[in-house]
Amino acid sequence: MDAPLAARGCALSALAFERVGKSYGATEVVRDVSLSVAEGEFVALLGPSGCGKTTLLRMVAGLVAPSTGRVLIGAQDVTALSPDKRGVGLVFQSYALFPHLTVFENVAFGLRRQRVSGAVLSERVEAALAMVRLPGLAARRPSELSGGQQQRVAIARAIAPRPRVLLFDEPLSNLDAQLRDEMQIELKRLQRSLGITTLFVTHDQSEALSMADRVCVMAHGVVQQFDTPEAVYHRPATAFVAGFIGRPNRLAGRIAADGRIDLGGGVLLAAGEAGATGTAVEAIIRQEAIAITGDGDGLPGTIVLRAFNGARVQYVVRLAEGVELVAETASSGAHSGLEPGTPVRLAIAPGAVFALPVA
Amino acid sequence: MKRHGIALAGPLALVLAVFFLAPALLTLPTGFREYVPGQGITAGSWTLDAYRDIVSDDFYREVLWRTLGLGLAVTAICLLLGYPLAWMIARGPAQLRMPLLLLVIFPMMLNLVVRSFGWIALLANRGLINNLLTDLGLIAAPVKMMFNLTGMLVGLVHIYLPFMVLMLVAAIQNVPRDVEAAAMTLGSTRRHVFLAITLPLTAPGILAGSILVFVLTISALVTPRMLGGPTYRVMATLIYDEYMQMLDWPTGSALAFVLTAIALAIIWAANRVARRWAVT
Repeated sequence: MDAPLAARGCALSALAFERVGKSYGATEVVRDVSLSVAEGEFVALLGPSGCGKTTLLRMVAGLVAPSTGRVLIGAQDVTALSPDKRGVGLVFQSYALFPHLTVFENVAFGLRRQRVSGAVLSERVEAALAMVRLPGLAARRPSELSGGQQQRVAIARAIAPRPRVLLFDEPLSNLDAQLRDEMQIELKRLQRSLGITTLFVTHDQSEALSMADRVCVMAHGVVQQFDTPEAVYHRPATAFVAGFIGRPNRLAGRIAADGRIDLGGGVLLAAGEAGATGTAVEAIIRQEAIAITGDGDGLPGTIVLRAFNGARVQYVVRLAEGVELVAETASSGAHSGLEPGTPVRLAIAPGAVFALPVA
Repeated sequence: MKRHGIALAGPLALVLAVFFLAPALLTLPTGFREYVPGQGITAGSWTLDAYRDIVSDDFYREVLWRTLGLGLAVTAICLLLGYPLAWMIARGPAQLRMPLLLLVIFPMMLNLVVRSFGWIALLANRGLINNLLTDLGLIAAPVKMMFNLTGMLVGLVHIYLPFMVLMLVAAIQNVPRDVEAAAMTLGSTRRHVFLAITLPLTAPGILAGSILVFVLTISALVTPRMLGGPTYRVMATLIYDEYMQMLDWPTGSALAFVLTAIALAIIWAANRVARRWAVT
C-alpha cells in the first residue's frame, strides 16, 4: 500500500482531464491540460497563484465549465454534469461551512441529500466526526469553533457522503504553522485509510511534496511536470520547475567555451546541461545542494553572513566581487559554526545546477 | 468603550429628545382628556374614553385592521417583487448592476406628492389607463382603481420597494458564494441551495426590509390621502382628520399612540427574532 500507486502501473484512472482548456475572454487560464489520476491516488496540484490549479479543481466539482476538452470521473464523462450529481467532496480554503446549521447538520447535509436518515444518519455523522477527531461538538454552531475545528468539520462534511473524488482547495493556508504541519500528516493518514482518490491544490511546495503520491506542477495554465515528489525535486522537467521547487539561488551568467557557466569575477560553475556557448543564462542552484567543505576541491569563497534558524544554518558566501550565493547546512553538522570572514570551499554537483536561457 | 459610545451618540440623542421625543410625549396626556363636541377639551379632566372608543367603535377598528392589512400586503408584494430584482443586482451581470441600482434609487429622489400625482394621472377614472382601455373598447365603464385598496397598494408598493430592494441587495451580497457551491457539491440542486442555504442566510435582510416597509406603510400619510381620497381612510389619514377636521384632539392622540405602540411592538418582536437567528 505504501508504494505510489502510479508506480505500480495502475491502468484504471479514477479521474482524468482530456485536453482541458479554459478561457475568460482573451485570457487563457488553463491550456490543453491532460492528466490521469489513479484510483486511490493522492495528487497535489502545485503552482503559484493564478496558474490555473484552482480552476482545474473546480472543473472536477462542476463549479467551472471547461471551454474545451473533457473531464472524466471513473469511466463517466462528467463535463456537462451539474455539480450535485457528480459525487465529489470539496474542502474549501474558506471552509464554507453553513453558518446557520449546527456541526451535526453541516456534516449531515450531503447524507440527507442521499436520503440517509434516522439512526444510520447519526451513526455516519458521528463516524465522520470521529474520523477527523472532533467528537462531542456536534451541537455547536460553526461560529463557536476555532479555525482548526472548522477545518475538521469541513473535511468531515466532505467525506461523510463517501465521495468518489475528494478535492482540497488550499485547505491548510488559513491555519498557523504548527497546526498546518499537524494537519498535513493527519490528512495524509486520513486519505490513506479512506482510499479516496484525492486532488489537493496548494501553492506550498513542502505541503505538496510531503503529502502527495504524485505532484503536478503548473504555471501559466500549463502542466510543467507531473511526477513523483522525488522526481519533481531531483529531476525538474522544465526551467520553471527547477526555479520553483526548493530554495534556489538565482545567479546571472553566460555559457563559457568549455560548457561551464561563467558567473563573472572568474567564477566558473559546472552545469548538468548548459547550452550553446555565449548564451546568457540564469544559473539555478538550490541552497541545500551546496556542500560546504573546509578544504580540497570546490569553488573558493568567504563567509559573509551566518543565519541560524534552528534545524539549519544558512551562510551567505562570497565567491568573487558581486557573486554571492546562499548555502545551507544542518545546524548540528561540522560546518555549522563558521564565523564571517572564514574562507571555505563549496562543492556543487553539476546535476544540481540548472542553466536557464534568459529570454 | 461604553462611555465613548454614549459621548458619540450624545448630540444626536439630545436633538431627538428635545425636538422629537419631548413634543411627541407632550401630546400623550391629550389622549386622556374629555372631549365635548362643539366645546373642545375639558381642561384638567382625566378619562379613558378616547381609547375605549378605538377598541369598541366599529369604524375605528375597521380602519385599524385595514391599516395593518395594507401594511402586510405592501410588505409581501415588495418582498416578492424586490427579491428577484435584488438578486439580479447582486448576482447578475456586472454591467447591469449600476443601471438597475440607479433605477431603484431614482424614484426616491422625487417628491412624494409628485409621485402620487403621477399615479393619480394613471389610475383616475378619466386617467391614462382607463382612457386607453375605453378607447380600445376593452371596457365600457372606467375601472375603479383609486380611492380604494388597489390604488393605495400600487402607490405604496412603488414608494417603498426601493427600501426593500436595497436591504435585500446587501443581504444577498453577504452570502458567500463558496457556501452555496459547497451545498451544490454535496448534492443540492439549485432549488435546494436556494431554499436550504440562500434563503435562511438572507433571512435577517428579509426581516429588516419587511419591518422597514411595514412600519413606513402603516404610518404613511401623503400617499394614502392622495390615492385613498377623503373616504377610504387608514390610521395616518384618520389621525390627521381627527386633529385638523374634527378638532377631536383626544381621539387623534389616542389613535396616534395606538399606532406608535403597534410599530414599537413589531420592531421589538423583530429584534428578538433577529437575535435568535443571529449567525456570525
